[in-house]
Amino acid sequence: MQLRFDEATEAFRSKFVAWLDANLPAPSTTGERPTSSAGVPSWSRAFQRRMFDDGWLVPGYPPEHGGRNAGLSEQMVYFEELAGRHVSRSLNPQGLGIVASSIIEFGDDDQRRDYAIPILRAEITAALGMSEPGAGSDLAGLTTRAVPDGDHFVVNGQKVWTSGAHDADMLLAFVRTDPDVPKHRGISALIIDTDTPGLECRPFPDLMGPDHLDFNEVFFDDVVVPRRNLVGDLNDGWRICTGALAHERAMLWVLWSEGLDTSIADLVRCVGDTPLAEDDVFLDRLGSLLIDAEALRLLGYRGLARLQRGLVAADQSLLKLMGSEGQRDVALLALDALGADALDQRKGTSVFQPWGANRGDASWFDRFLNSFAGTISGGTSEIQRNIIAERVLGLPRG
Amino acid sequence: MDFELDDDQRELQRAVREVLDKECPPAYVRRIVDEGHDPTDLWDTLTGLDWPALALAPEVGGLGMTWVDQAIVLEELGYASAPGPFLATCTQFAPAVHQVGTADERLRFLGPVARGERTGTLAFDEGSGSWDPSDVAATAVAGEGGWVMAGTKEFVVDGDTADEVAVALRIDGELRLAIVPGGDLDAEPIDPIDPTTRHARIRLDGVRIDDDRLLGAGDATHALRSALEESVTAVALTTVGACQRILDLDLGHVKERHQFGVPIGSFQAVKHKLADMYRDVERARALGYFAALCIAEDDPRRGRAAAMAKASAGECQRRVVQDGLQLFGGIGYSWEHDLHLYLRRAKVGDLHFGTSSRHRRHIARLALGGS
Ligand SMILES: Cc1cc2nc3c(=O)[nH]c(=O)nc-3n(C[C@H](O)[C@H](O)[C@H](O)COP(=O)(O)OP(=O)(O)OC[C@H]3O[C@@H](n4cnc5c(N)ncnc54)[C@H](O)[C@@H]3O)c2cc1C
Repeated sequence: MQLRFDEATEAFRSKFVAWLDANLPAPSTTGERPTSSAGVPSWSRAFQRRMFDDGWLVPGYPPEHGGRNAGLSEQMVYFEELAGRHVSRSLNPQGLGIVASSIIEFGDDDQRRDYAIPILRAEITAALGMSEPGAGSDLAGLTTRAVPDGDHFVVNGQKVWTSGAHDADMLLAFVRTDPDVPKHRGISALIIDTDTPGLECRPFPDLMGPDHLDFNEVFFDDVVVPRRNLVGDLNDGWRICTGALAHERAMLWVLWSEGLDTSIADLVRCVGDTPLAEDDVFLDRLGSLLIDAEALRLLGYRGLARLQRGLVAADQSLLKLMGSEGQRDVALLALDALGADALDQRKGTSVFQPWGANRGDASWFDRFLNSFAGTISGGTSEIQRNIIAERVLGLPRG
Repeated sequence: MDFELDDDQRELQRAVREVLDKECPPAYVRRIVDEGHDPTDLWDTLTGLDWPALALAPEVGGLGMTWVDQAIVLEELGYASAPGPFLATCTQFAPAVHQVGTADERLRFLGPVARGERTGTLAFDEGSGSWDPSDVAATAVAGEGGWVMAGTKEFVVDGDTADEVAVALRIDGELRLAIVPGGDLDAEPIDPIDPTTRHARIRLDGVRIDDDRLLGAGDATHALRSALEESVTAVALTTVGACQRILDLDLGHVKERHQFGVPIGSFQAVKHKLADMYRDVERARALGYFAALCIAEDDPRRGRAAAMAKASAGECQRRVVQDGLQLFGGIGYSWEHDLHLYLRRAKVGDLHFGTSSRHRRHIARLALGGS
């Protein structure tokens, strides 16, 4: 156990800090907002491309994939520096974090060249088509059907909640290719261009407001997808869905940690030297949230240390649970404590960050609602608790 | 940052667990709780293995291991709900003497601890519940060729059994530390909710101390605050250990016990309780070891980290004691079952050295820029 990283890792950090200092876009250029989680403004695309070209986009990857073969500690300090500056590598998070990394890990060279690298270089954006009206937590129950037909598949069915699909160039869609085997064994992953005839995206507003369009229903009506767009083997899609994203996942907690720290800092700023700062009940609850934030970071570091020792870091569910529920709890405390001061929808609660989720003008109620994006998407909190109970604690499946 | 035990530390953990499994099994703890057995035999075994010397400095005859190594021992002592003088001697008396005393005084009072010859404790709180040096009101005035004390100390761990009692008191307003032979003091034990952790009230009025038993020079507020960070972290770690024991007992139980034709551990209401218990144990353990690491490296974050360790251990025991008992059903409500041996230890961990809530408020004030 040690509080500090070794010298080589700190040297890596310094190198990255120097790069950031020289390359972060000027604030005057970063005003344009994304239109959705796949509708990325040009300044952010340009920055992402520069990161790729200079080997700083995914440091753990080899140079041809936008990295520099960095080790785990190096990747860790890299994420620390990004988080400390509230910089996101991409404003198409599912494209960079899930779609491109899945194609790199499971796809073939052509798919890497035609899709993964363009996503990494922000030339195209991607959406993730997993959930369906009848398949949410029970993702393996998905029914969107892809029937092999010569050198292509014919796809029929529907996805829903597909973030950013209307702005995305492609989907990574999970489809049923064999309906006659147990449900996990009949799923495949397909790359589908969103301009393919028969594919229709219908965006619909989410809880953040009637003009906040990120969600989509995506309909497939005899959509013809070339066979070469099959990622991995036929009927092997479940593997891609689940454990596959290990290397990137191991660091994703940093985003949770950053989000939680930021929420707490915003709340502390809102409280300032108001009488709340002397209120025992408020202080008691704030203290607990500060512990949540510190514990999340420490458990993240522990996961890293375990990976470095060649052990499995089984605690991604725990980190996701703590990070997402922590952010909800901060917003809840803000609402509880501020009372009528929280009524004004336009009273800013945060500082504008170019890569942030809002302009700094979100109310605490918005932020409370928004926190449920964390506790619902990517496996709900209940599902995370099931995973902890069954896979970490070894309890029998019920 | 490397936040995981190394191979030697894992080996230490394994060795400590093995000793305590053998020397302090539930049946032994039960003799303490049921029959008031005197745990000196266990202490003799542990001193024979040099445990009190582990984290003491080589200058006083200690083995000079780090605070993280000591954390491992503390967690395991909690896991075993082990009674005896380790906690008070090594994590209350020793840090106080170390922080406040001169090199000679350390050698005089900690040498015998390292050799396993003497035990000690720290008499600090006076009932305000703050466990903060600024609230110490006991005094000593010059007299009878030394000093004469006045005041009352509350909740002194092992207060009626320790060989040496480090008493925090004021002389002309300055906070000082006096080492008083236990035999000179009027100590009244309280009937404990956890017989493995004993407290006493100590009346200081009129007790005389020799001049050379007054440690260091000048105000010891800062030094004692540092010492208390160690004491608080130690209590937190033993609490985490006790909570882990409860969690392990529960996990064993819910996998074995069948109702409605299935193991009760397959019911989701049960699973989610255990997942939350696990989360709270992991959270508190992480903060406990972080505090230990900050103390080991004398990092400026150590005060905040110690408060977080204590607060999170308190939050952890709150859930683990409650749900851990609930999940056992009727058998957990019986005296005969071992569960309560650990429930007691976990709960006591929150009650002394500042409650969870008090530490949380302190942490929040630090974040808000106050003191
Ligand atoms: C902001 C946001 C963005 C999203 N983006 C995408 C995206 O880009 N692509 C995509 O494919 N999907 C996306 N999703 C969908 C998301 O993955 C699903 O909403 C999620 O998996 C839950 O599925 P569901 O909505 O059908 O809820 P359900 O599965 O119907 O769950 C409803 C409730 O039942 C509980 N529940 C269900 N099963 C169990 C169980 N076994 N044990 C205990 N409780 C259970 C759940 O925890 C939940 O509380 C997004 C969702 C949100 C909120």
